Amino acid sequence: MTTRTKQRISRILLWVLIFVMAIWMLFPFYWAVNSSFKTEAQLAMMPATFVPKTPVTGEVSFTLQNYEAVFNNPAFLRGIVNSAIVAISVTVVALAIGAFAGFALGKLRYRGKDTTLYIILAMTMFPQIAVLSGLYTVINTLGIPAIPSLILTYLLFSLPFTAWVLTAFFKELPTEIFQSAQVDGASPFQTFYMIMLPLTAPALVTTGLLAFIGAWNEYLFALTFTSIQPDARTLPVIIANFPSQFAMQTPFGEIMAAGIVSSIPLFLLVFIFQRRIVAGLTAGAVKG
Amino acid sequence: MAQAKEHSSDLAKQEQRLAYWLLAPTFIILLAIGIYPLLSVFGYSFTNATFASAKPTEFIGLQNYQTLLSMTIVQVPPILDEATGQIKVDENTGEPQFESAVRALPREPIRYRPVTEFTLFGNKYVLGATDADFIHAVWDTVVFGVVTVFLELVLGMVVALIVNANFKGRGFMRALILVPWVIPTAVSSQIWAYMLQPNRTGFFNTVLWYLGLGNGEIAFLSDPALQLPSMILIDVWKTTPFMALLLLAGLQLIPADIYEAADVDGAGPVRSFFQLTLPLLKGTIAVALVFRTLDALRVFDLFQIVLGQARYSMASFTYYELIQNRAMGYSSASSMVIFFVLSIFAIGYMRSLGVKSDDH
Repeated sequence: MTTRTKQRISRILLWVLIFVMAIWMLFPFYWAVNSSFKTEAQLAMMPATFVPKTPVTGEVSFTLQNYEAVFNNPAFLRGIVNSAIVAISVTVVALAIGAFAGFALGKLRYRGKDTTLYIILAMTMFPQIAVLSGLYTVINTLGIPAIPSLILTYLLFSLPFTAWVLTAFFKELPTEIFQSAQVDGASPFQTFYMIMLPLTAPALVTTGLLAFIGAWNEYLFALTFTSIQPDARTLPVIIANFPSQFAMQTPFGEIMAAGIVSSIPLFLLVFIFQRRIVAGLTAGAVKG
Repeated sequence: MAQAKEHSSDLAKQEQRLAYWLLAPTFIILLAIGIYPLLSVFGYSFTNATFASAKPTEFIGLQNYQTLLSMTIVQVPPILDEATGQIKVDENTGEPQFESAVRALPREPIRYRPVTEFTLFGNKYVLGATDADFIHAVWDTVVFGVVTVFLELVLGMVVALIVNANFKGRGFMRALILVPWVIPTAVSSQIWAYMLQPNRTGFFNTVLWYLGLGNGEIAFLSDPALQLPSMILIDVWKTTPFMALLLLAGLQLIPADIYEAADVDGAGPVRSFFQLTLPLLKGTIAVALVFRTLDALRVFDLFQIVLGQARYSMASFTYYELIQNRAMGYSSASSMVIFFVLSIFAIGYMRSLGVKSDDH
């Protein structure tokens, strides 16, 4: 076998692998799209069809009724608003506070730095379930409404993560910039605010995206803290416990439509900011 | 000279003060929503506190932990034939017959329920626990964690190698593998629950039936033997991309000229993978493994949404104790057990990562 045919074979093999991988990653989502365009009768067809088909004639036929139902469902619409409020607020607060901490951890010299670094790293792994009953009591005792309590408690995972990733980015900025600004008479805070922060803008976008995605997808706290306040439910809670008008069976068509609608903002983010998201994810986990 | 020194130490003091001010908000918030609730959960775990109940809360010491964790193994006595005094044997299978396992377990002062039965040297034993549900949850979560993380590592490595190769549309593929990762777990759990329906309206039953496997009515989510494999399947799909990204980051750190040298030496791709890539990735793999194991052991969304109370993970057990049974104290104790188990892994993770503040 010549080198050329060898190369050609390995090329073909690579493309086969790419193809198989793409199907494996995307198929469940395709199935959701397929099902979301089916009527109740089409969903009940056995065997299930790979494209929406009319039961009798077998002709391809799509319906938009699930999407109509979902967009006329007040609980779902409120869920979109709730999710947006919670996710955006968490992102803004986590970035603002986390950038302070990240700058101190990444660039400033002070006593006890190792300890603070360890605490932040440990907090990035803090299991939410461990404080569930404690937070629930605090929220009930103080009578905090569900939405503010979600924003506050989501900081438990988004704040350490933001601080940790930003620390890594601040560390990479050359110390000379910081020092020369100081020599020029700028106070450390001015240096941070006017010179360093603008330089980390790309990092802020990356961490902001990840904080947003994390908050948009969170389920455990949302489920627990909205249990007595259904109008504060976020999208994951609504999709997992879909309010059905006909309680006979699970309305899978509508659930799939609702799931697709709530995933679309995330898909857009992923395809626009792919590089940044990958950089942020790996920085959060593997860079010490 | 002395003045300059004084000036610089002034600056250092100023810097230190700024650092504390900048860190303060983060630490105050984490204290309020992390450390304080954790301490209160620790406190509650020694009480019989119940939510929305008139019953006064009492300190009950370690009783919650005792109920959660008490286990015992007892031998199940065989059934003796009254006529011969010999062990009764099943006529069809030839197997010896045993008493009911439930009756072999102690009932006083606390009742033990069977978790699992096993045979050793011809004797039958039963493992009993005062809270069989919790022991089941711990066991299932550990099995789930170990198997998913192992499968993710293998598949994640394949995916990482693919998207590290040079081909047209690589950027697009890297975005595409983020789809399972970014989709909310609530949504993906519902999609998979629908694909795993116990009749041919579900994708898997349809395909298996087309292939002539199964009767088209496989109960993936209610058959106890298939529940865990189904959870593992879903989670492997969802989290392999994340594992792949971690491994990809490690792959990109390996300088390309190492491979060129291996090429010259005539090492094939398989050999260079096992002899070059894998050893160089050891650090990345270790970090990724611990990181993912930590994540897998606290699995909640998937179990709660797909299986509800049919089968628990450690986290969903804790959730139902709190919300369904309003057993504040008991749920707190199970939280602490989870926290303890996860801490062991977290410490291992931090050790393997090695925090460096590069000040020294």
